Amino acid sequence: MALLHGSRRERAIDLLFLLPILVILAGFLLYPLGYGIVLSLHDTRGFDMTSFVGLDHYAHAILGDAVFHRSLLNTVLFTGAAIVLLPGLGLFLALLVAETKRGRVFFRAAFLAPFVLASVAVGDVWKFLYAPFFGILATVGSALGLHTQTIAPLADASTALWAIMAAFLWRFAGFNMVVYLAAIQALPREYYEHAVLEGAGRFQQFRSVTWPLLWPHTFTLVLLTTLGTLRIFDMVWVMTEGGPSHATETVGTDIYVTAFRFLEVGYAQAMAMILLVLILLLAVVEYRFFNRRAEMVSA
Amino acid sequence: MTGLPRLRWPTVVLGLLAIVWLYPVAWTLANAIRPSADIYRAPWDLPWPPAIGNIGDAWNRGRLGAALANSAYVTAMTVAVVLLVSVSGAYSLTRLRPPGRAVLFIVVLAPLIIPTDVLVVPLFSMFRALGLINSLPGVALFNVFANVSFATLILTGYFRTIPRDVVDAARVDGAGRIEVLLAIVVPLARPGIVAVAVLVAVFTWNDFGGSLVLIQKPDAFTVQLALSRFSTFYATDQGLTFAGMAIALLPPLLLFLAFQRSFIRGLTAGAVRR
Repeated sequence: MALLHGSRRERAIDLLFLLPILVILAGFLLYPLGYGIVLSLHDTRGFDMTSFVGLDHYAHAILGDAVFHRSLLNTVLFTGAAIVLLPGLGLFLALLVAETKRGRVFFRAAFLAPFVLASVAVGDVWKFLYAPFFGILATVGSALGLHTQTIAPLADASTALWAIMAAFLWRFAGFNMVVYLAAIQALPREYYEHAVLEGAGRFQQFRSVTWPLLWPHTFTLVLLTTLGTLRIFDMVWVMTEGGPSHATETVGTDIYVTAFRFLEVGYAQAMAMILLVLILLLAVVEYRFFNRRAEMVSA
Repeated sequence: MTGLPRLRWPTVVLGLLAIVWLYPVAWTLANAIRPSADIYRAPWDLPWPPAIGNIGDAWNRGRLGAALANSAYVTAMTVAVVLLVSVSGAYSLTRLRPPGRAVLFIVVLAPLIIPTDVLVVPLFSMFRALGLINSLPGVALFNVFANVSFATLILTGYFRTIPRDVVDAARVDGAGRIEVLLAIVVPLARPGIVAVAVLVAVFTWNDFGGSLVLIQKPDAFTVQLALSRFSTFYATDQGLTFAGMAIALLPPLLLFLAFQRSFIRGLTAGAVRR
């Protein structure tokens, strides 16, 4: 049994199987993270560090950069809307699909299909859907007799961010639905039988059985949405490149432009570190919020 | 069962929503074989006779053929390496006893919270120093890192369903670790491994950020990169752009349809605790 409970040597061999991942993480996570912190404290020429500037980049980003403020605001607004709308839409679809007898497999595939399409393709498709003259809004509107030929939601600063949100919801609602659907189908029937015996109506059943039991999944989806939207880059880049006039600038696009177009590499990395802090902060806040509520429910 | 009235209306509502969901895809595929002029003039007509020329133009002028080959190469390499590394790692975390296992598990999942997006700049510097700019193995390496954590997470879920007694009994009988892995764990967790392979393939094929930062030479463009240049370079030739989009979105769509069940099982395995 020494074999199983492990001498030091045996356990070291067990560790060897994990070594490849650990090496990858050391090389692609730990090292870039450390290097990134150092980089954010320096002025740069090209991608090389020149002089140490301490927290200057951070101070400038937080106090004096209007574009960064705009990108932070957009990112937080986008995330705030997405963490409510995306799991909400996913749950709505999942409840409906769980309810149907026919075509469950078809509906699941239909709603999940956009999730497997590349962000570039999705961005392009929606760019065309929103296009004036031949896009869907333009043609459907004018077929109904409205003067919509020239409307262009992505070119209008007041609507562009929410036009991207619509594409984002379309792309990811299916994923949220699939997670909820699997959870709903695994819920124990006795709970509902019990609720029915106590005279609960269907809405009461949802409120007192389904919703609390889905709480851990809601947490997972809210967290995944947060992680996905705070870093959002590719769909925004493809659809608007952050424009018009920074109306859809996100921290992700701001970092990319600052680093790879303006070559202000150290400064861009300082913005990236601020984004990382924001991500960690929100993850902790959500974890605490959902766990506290879970305790209240079980108490 | 879930708190909504048991009526037919869910099916009706779902049907309408499904049309909304599928319409953009159908529209893209239809426009791929619609003559460019008709996209403005007659966007609602059936694309008949099909303008096959769009596809040929996208393939030749847009260099999509080469880009597809590059993407296939990157995807195959990424899937192979991720599977090797995450199967071995998940095995160690669930059915072996490395020291500090609980902490190691959290360490392995750290990239799920710390996205590559906040590391693009240092990663770019690093890849440049290693001579991995404009290198397809470089893009694959980037995608290995981007996928390895969730792949391992999903696999640990599957490996945990294999009874520990079975593994331990084989070990007591004298089977080595690799023997147990190949003869017991891998065959029993095959659905999970297939699911992970399909997910990683789709995500790698669709990756844009990695190749945008790491690839500059058109020879090394992946499909997504080639496609992202389409709408700017061929802005006046909508038919060609739609054809390019159709070509780029078909492979993951077909892969998903062929492996729908494992795909969904893999997706939910990570999020739904059993």
